[in-house]
Amino acid sequence: MNVKRGLWLIAVAIFLGLLSHTAAIASVDLSAGIRYVSDTGSLSDCSAKARAALETYLPGASESSPGSGEWFASGQNLLTGAPSSAATVRCYPLAKGYMVTFVCAVQLPTNPYGAYPLCLDIAHKFYGGAITPLAAMPTATPMPSGCATTNLVGTWVSDNDPKLSFTMELNGDLTDSEGVSGNWIIDGSTVTLTYYGNHTLKLSPDGKRLSGAGYNLTRKC
Amino acid sequence: MTRISRCRVTLLAVGLIAAFGSLATRAPAALDMNVGVSKVVQNQPVSACDSSAKTALNAVLQNAVELGGDTGEWIAFGAPDSANGSTAAAAINCYPLGGAYVVTFTCAAQVPPSADSAAALCTKLSAAFDSGAR
Repeated sequence: MNVKRGLWLIAVAIFLGLLSHTAAIASVDLSAGIRYVSDTGSLSDCSAKARAALETYLPGASESSPGSGEWFASGQNLLTGAPSSAATVRCYPLAKGYMVTFVCAVQLPTNPYGAYPLCLDIAHKFYGGAITPLAAMPTATPMPSGCATTNLVGTWVSDNDPKLSFTMELNGDLTDSEGVSGNWIIDGSTVTLTYYGNHTLKLSPDGKRLSGAGYNLTRKC
Repeated sequence: MTRISRCRVTLLAVGLIAAFGSLATRAPAALDMNVGVSKVVQNQPVSACDSSAKTALNAVLQNAVELGGDTGEWIAFGAPDSANGSTAAAAINCYPLGGAYVVTFTCAAQVPPSADSAAALCTKLSAAFDSGAR
């Protein structure tokens, strides 16, 4: 095989690998321009409202230095484990009243809403105005727990032989207490266990018991 | 399997490992935002702030625009790279105070791939603003 063909094969493989990574183009979205001037009130009044408005949408607002009137908060994206939204509300005292600015940033497309809707809601929360609900921040899919009737995830113990137990995974795998593996499928309340052959069992309405084909199993939940 | 076929399979595997390996080591991008400095400049009109804000934003980022006309609210984004959109952005707010003005800097960056953190970006902007204000 000649060198040219070898390099070509590597290039094709790298291209295929990169093609499978379907990351969307990411960018920073920044919103500025919302400013509010109050003829009354002190810097501390502004600070109290700034903190409350920020914390309505982003947790843990903090002041950049005590008494500065400059507030910041950010929102963690549970899917990426990193912040994908943030906002600042900055208060500045005037001879009469105060001036406050709102600047927001989000990372798109990771964040489910843009910087402007976030800033508009924070500003409206501060000085009044229509609040438009923001799209919910995505959350990691929780591992099923308890006695769900839509899956068999968990540990099952044989009623006939308490030493025999089965660990069933979300992906349909099962492993018994001696390390023998198999699979499970559920369709309504009908369960097919592939474990030394195929067996059809029934799941109880409370999701705690499996019985049939000589098996009687109780789920720990 | 012939020797040539084995070679081809090996090369294909090397390529795939290179492709997927490089992806696996990529750190997740995080949004970084910085509350930059806020300062009062005495004996200067707000138009001087506007001018310096535009100059600073264009020096550090690009295409600075004043939002909504004569508002003193300036914004700019970094040049988009080939794989992403803009990964850095900043806002400079100018507000008149009698014969003086107050200016604030706020920056955001997506790190990685942005080489500058939001704090570094705001520091650069503040320095560029001061240069333009002299």
